[in-house]
Amino acid sequence: MKITYPHMGSLNMILKTMFEGINVEVVEPPPVTNKTLSIGVKYSPEFVCLPYKINLGNFIEALENGADTIIMLGGIGPCRFGYYGQAQKETLIDLGYKFNMIILDPPHGRLVDFLKELSSYFPDVYWKDALKAFIFAVQKMIIADKFEKKLLILRAHENRAGVTTKIFEYYMEKIKNAKNKKELDSIYKEGLEKLRQNATTKREIQLKVALVGEIYLMLEPFSNLDICRSLNELGIEVTKTDFLSDYLINSAFKLPQRVEFKKYAHGYLERDIGGHGLNTVANTVKYAEKNYDGIIQIFPFTCTPEIVAQGIIAKVSSDKNIPVMSLSYDEKTGEAGYQTRLEAFKDLLERRRLKNIKKY
Amino acid sequence: MSKKVGIPKGLLYYNFYPMWKAFFEELGAEVVTSSDTCKKIIDDGVKTCVDETCLPVKTFVGHVIDLKEKGVDYIFVPRVISVERHRYLCSKFLGLPDLVRNLVSDLPPIIDMKIDFYRGDDFMKREILRVGKLFINDVSKIKDAYEKSLKMQRTFECIVREGFSNTEAIKIMEGEKLDANSKGDLKIALLAHSYDIMDDYLSMGLVNRLKNMGAYVLTTNMIERDKIEKGAGKLQKDLFWNYGRDILCSGKYFIQSKEVDGVISVSAFGCGPDSITDDLLERDYKRDGSIPYMSITIDEHTGEAGLNTRLEAFMDLLRWRKGEIMA
Repeated sequence: MKITYPHMGSLNMILKTMFEGINVEVVEPPPVTNKTLSIGVKYSPEFVCLPYKINLGNFIEALENGADTIIMLGGIGPCRFGYYGQAQKETLIDLGYKFNMIILDPPHGRLVDFLKELSSYFPDVYWKDALKAFIFAVQKMIIADKFEKKLLILRAHENRAGVTTKIFEYYMEKIKNAKNKKELDSIYKEGLEKLRQNATTKREIQLKVALVGEIYLMLEPFSNLDICRSLNELGIEVTKTDFLSDYLINSAFKLPQRVEFKKYAHGYLERDIGGHGLNTVANTVKYAEKNYDGIIQIFPFTCTPEIVAQGIIAKVSSDKNIPVMSLSYDEKTGEAGYQTRLEAFKDLLERRRLKNIKKY
Repeated sequence: MSKKVGIPKGLLYYNFYPMWKAFFEELGAEVVTSSDTCKKIIDDGVKTCVDETCLPVKTFVGHVIDLKEKGVDYIFVPRVISVERHRYLCSKFLGLPDLVRNLVSDLPPIIDMKIDFYRGDDFMKREILRVGKLFINDVSKIKDAYEKSLKMQRTFECIVREGFSNTEAIKIMEGEKLDANSKGDLKIALLAHSYDIMDDYLSMGLVNRLKNMGAYVLTTNMIERDKIEKGAGKLQKDLFWNYGRDILCSGKYFIQSKEVDGVISVSAFGCGPDSITDDLLERDYKRDGSIPYMSITIDEHTGEAGLNTRLEAFMDLLRWRKGEIMA
């Protein structure tokens, strides 16, 4: 069995660690490129959202590289992600590929049930090994996410443009290949030190922006034209509101965050509407109250929950007096257009700060 | 004086109006609907909504604005979460009252009744009381009103099954006399959400156009449940949108039964559920190859001439296949 899966930010690192920990052969899908996207677009329905198209491109590229089993997550709606796997399977069948597709439906979103179902596909694996592999994968994920959180702040202060990103990529590769927890900790420490050495620039006006929106767009830099890097290089500190580790921990221990979200979104959106709609609204309110300078919402074109959220956070923006910009992405990527909008947004935020300084 | 409740003529109006009307009238309220969809309503909606919103929602918001201008005491914008066990509606219905409230300013109070049968019908019993108490403080009367409204809904659904479109069925319940689905000789299944095809302005009179070209039109609502369930047997995994499921499964059923001459699917530009279901259907029809399938997308820019040409061509194709036209 040669297993493959879709890309989503650091997911590759984690799944690879886990499957190799239980001695299952993995065919990593090639990194997402424009080629991946065009293959995906070619065979996808026209109005389906960007993650679907990239995923399909991943599958085709991985199948061409010799994979024979695809692992995909399912869902119970109302977000259309829950039916991705089924539709993609039909597409791949029509394209003539021979493969096996495992679509994991989180039964009640509980991690334990999820793992039980997963283990039924791998009868030769001892659960002890699986647990060990899983725990190490989670440790890696937590370290990688912690490292990225630091990056999003420190890169805004970098002394030489581009160096921080290079350092980050170098150490992420090291984290990916780490063999045990001790190694992981020392890589993290060293990497952080290196990041800090190159980030000592201070500004009179330091802007802070929170990134809210749909989870795939938030986690996969290719899909959002690496908006975090663009913002950082404009000198803006970025807080991403979704990380893979947060996401997994929250689906494993469901309640606390949902209660928090409902509290924040109260008065604007009264229930979960599927996808990350509620998270978007709640995070917008939360970071507006934390006195961030601005909020940027990113989501795939035609994403219904985010469109509902977009209409609602426009109201939050005027109520809480905080600039909100919504950006939707599809395969017609035009980097220059987005760059211009980000620069204009930065100018707007800076001017607001200047106005406030004058008042005193 | 009785209170005026405004019901916007959009989205699920076409599926549940008789029921909602009966409910509020039994509670002693006066029911007002918004005007028929027109240029102004669509323009109002388009101006108010985020530009990526789908056309039916934009139109719905336009109707809400129309009601606001008419002056009513309440506007009924239900939060329809689920109308069948373990199946949802599309996200936009789940957040509809929130969306409307945040987009349109100076609204009269909104009745955001939660309609949720996801875990069975216990929830509804409480929700009915909450809404009913806005009008009268009499539990048994509210319960009666609910029972009566359910009865109206059953009558309505029976009329639709007889072969009337939802709009026609609403008219019949208001007392008009109409002939059933005329004499068309080409059976065409029109697979779409009711709000995409029942609003004559949005769909540019699609149903009547087809009828005038000699079609006997079957909409998803006219198809019997057991046929849909038969189609559902072909699914890899149960689909979690109930209207999307009706569309997909009716389509799958017709591939087996071959009881229609052609299938047309209509969806609004950017519709999330339809992007998946349409793709699956199109794939099935291509593989089978015995029934012609056409897919139409509508948005606020659709041109009448383009639609007509496509419909005419499709009908010609069907007639040619039947041997009525020589090539």
